Amino acid sequence: MAGPATNGWNRRDFFGGAALLALALGLPVAAVHLTDLPDDEAPNDRQRQLMNRVAQLVIPRTDTPGAGDVGTGDFVLLALAHGLSGSADPVSSGLLSRQVRHLRRDGSLRHAEWLEAELDLRAGGDFLRSPARQAALLGALDSEAYGQGQDRHPWRTIKTLLLTGYYTSEAGGSQELRYELVPGRWDPDLPATPQTRAFSSDWTAVDFG
Amino acid sequence: MEFDAIVVGSGITGGWAAKELTEAGLKVLMIERGREIRHQQDYETETKAPWELPFRGLGDARLYREQYPVQMLNRHFTEFTQNHFVNDAENPYTTEGDTSFTWFRSYQLGGRSLTWGRQSYRWSDYDFGANQRDGHGTDWPIRYADLAPWYDKVEEFIGVSGQAERLAQLPDGRFQPPMALNAVEQHVRATVRARWPERCLTIGRTANLTQAKESEGRAHCQYRSICARGCSYGAYFSTQSSTLPAAQKTGRLTLVTDAVVEGLDYDPQARRITGVRWIETKTKQHRRATSRAVFLNAGSFNSVHILLNSASEAAPHGVGNSSGVLGTHIMDHANTLSAMALMPGWEAHTTFGNRPTGVIVPRYRNMDVLDGQGHTRGFSFQGGAFQSTWTSGRRDAGIGADFKEKLCHPGMWRMVLVGFADCVPRPSNRLTLDRTRTDANGLPVLKVEFAFGKEEHAALTQAKAEATEMLTEAGGKVIAGTDQPGPGGTAIHEMGGARMGHDPKTSVLNKWSQAHDAANLFVTDGAQMSSSACQNPSLTYMALTARACDAAVTMLREGRI
Repeated sequence: MAGPATNGWNRRDFFGGAALLALALGLPVAAVHLTDLPDDEAPNDRQRQLMNRVAQLVIPRTDTPGAGDVGTGDFVLLALAHGLSGSADPVSSGLLSRQVRHLRRDGSLRHAEWLEAELDLRAGGDFLRSPARQAALLGALDSEAYGQGQDRHPWRTIKTLLLTGYYTSEAGGSQELRYELVPGRWDPDLPATPQTRAFSSDWTAVDFG
Repeated sequence: MEFDAIVVGSGITGGWAAKELTEAGLKVLMIERGREIRHQQDYETETKAPWELPFRGLGDARLYREQYPVQMLNRHFTEFTQNHFVNDAENPYTTEGDTSFTWFRSYQLGGRSLTWGRQSYRWSDYDFGANQRDGHGTDWPIRYADLAPWYDKVEEFIGVSGQAERLAQLPDGRFQPPMALNAVEQHVRATVRARWPERCLTIGRTANLTQAKESEGRAHCQYRSICARGCSYGAYFSTQSSTLPAAQKTGRLTLVTDAVVEGLDYDPQARRITGVRWIETKTKQHRRATSRAVFLNAGSFNSVHILLNSASEAAPHGVGNSSGVLGTHIMDHANTLSAMALMPGWEAHTTFGNRPTGVIVPRYRNMDVLDGQGHTRGFSFQGGAFQSTWTSGRRDAGIGADFKEKLCHPGMWRMVLVGFADCVPRPSNRLTLDRTRTDANGLPVLKVEFAFGKEEHAALTQAKAEATEMLTEAGGKVIAGTDQPGPGGTAIHEMGGARMGHDPKTSVLNKWSQAHDAANLFVTDGAQMSSSACQNPSLTYMALTARACDAAVTMLREGRI
């Protein structure tokens, strides 16, 4: 590929967490190809734990792995550090004071840091130590973020990256959904039922859907 | 080094020039500024899954902001395709005043033939007669009949699938069998035709094979729709899959890559190009070769750049520029999302495979009757119907198992119509050399001055209204649409700058794509265009190239050049 090697965070963290997880699940290590992030962008262990927990709450394990099971939290943190899906764009206005304190100098939001503080605030303590209430707390945040006039709510950005991370993972893309790199034919009109599974390799749908 | 012909550029038209000239028996040098990409060997991401890429196909946004700030705006620029686009930081250009122009480029063997949209349309006499009819620009010295046999030749060789529709504004070609409309598109076609018989929704005419061309090593389309990664099946037309092997088969092609042409040497007495000079980008060595004929196929803007940068005492304003119009009258289709609609009621229908083309609604305004509102030319639509998918979850509230269950099924059908409006040629839209800034090779960079005018805005206003009424008529609920064009360059149909015309005093090229000022110089890429039409131009560039090659070979044989 063009350009410098992909950035991530340092190898020690990588082998401490993501790689072991990847190995345990038989995932290709290339999918979490991490090197170095600047110190002020590197997530701490708690943020990694929290983001993966949040991922699992959004996409839980059913008959296929959940988003946390496949390490989607680490993808979200990598994506946030690299500004995917507009996550490093300066935030214009309408921020709550408890969001403002997580802004970078360039006006962009440290999403992981914000989410950690926001969920702890809602939990009245350590979100991670309140497993029974986590789904309800996150559900409430999600409802607020998709309310009217909340188009730029930071949770939407995180959720966008989380869904991206899951449905572009091998489990999300080829077990939860179907993946066919070489369809070989075009069938323009097939019957669909409520059971029909979508193709993660329907690139037009992914782009415009 | 001495050749019969030198071809500058290896993209869609350079490949054609090399093929036609070598097959006619000429010894040809092809010079490509970018790196070599070998068919079936160097398409590095072709078979990758998203989970095999560090950024899952989205790419490293931080890298893109720093190195690819323009290319990243192209919908087809992704982690899968970034190797097929230029690094903007290394290949700068400037803009004049408040110009906003996104110049999407591919500097590599095959050029943009690797990344193009493959839409292949004939132009009609509504297009070749447009300038004469409304007085913008200068009259084309050719008409459809001049080009028709060359369209035949090009379509048969590259392979264009499409549906014959007997439309005067979009002449039928030598088509391979069409790809089918999906159920929603068939319904919209029928509904629109019943209400507005002059509006024809048809499948895109696309340079993807529906029937293999086995003797040329090209398989039929596999319906992956990941063309811009490179196609080892050779199922879409590219230089690598098609024209380059044909040229190489003759044994008369010499190919040089990583070589940027800096200028042409011009003899004002003989009125001929006497040499082509280039810089080897890896060694910074200067090289020169001579030939009896020179074909510029560097891409519209870069062919103009070479001519401007060839200025000398003999040609103080650039080679081929005794008229002073070189660089002027550049165009790009005014392009925008005219309407997007939800299409309820089709939930029991789905598809299999990824069709590598959408649908089109060809121009239907300002043909025999001037019925445009505030404009005198055409607009057309491209688009299609598709089902939404998990990405819709980004817009929806919900977490947990029910949310996951919802996202695993194909979602609501949607349909989009993207408007393309004819861009009027204007002298104020122009390219010049920016002498204040040089690129990595020490060459002055190109400066773009460009704005759409009231004609394009009026056309897109009408396009939005009519896209909305068509989708609504078909039962759609329109949820988005605009009449504001994207910046110039959005359509990636930038053209003009060395226009064709009758009069050497007001045009750069004659009807054979031959410079009025230099008989052995031919410019056969998009730079030669005198108007823009409202359909994709690449097929016309190819037909004009094949025609110019035939003319040049005849002139060479007869000793006229």
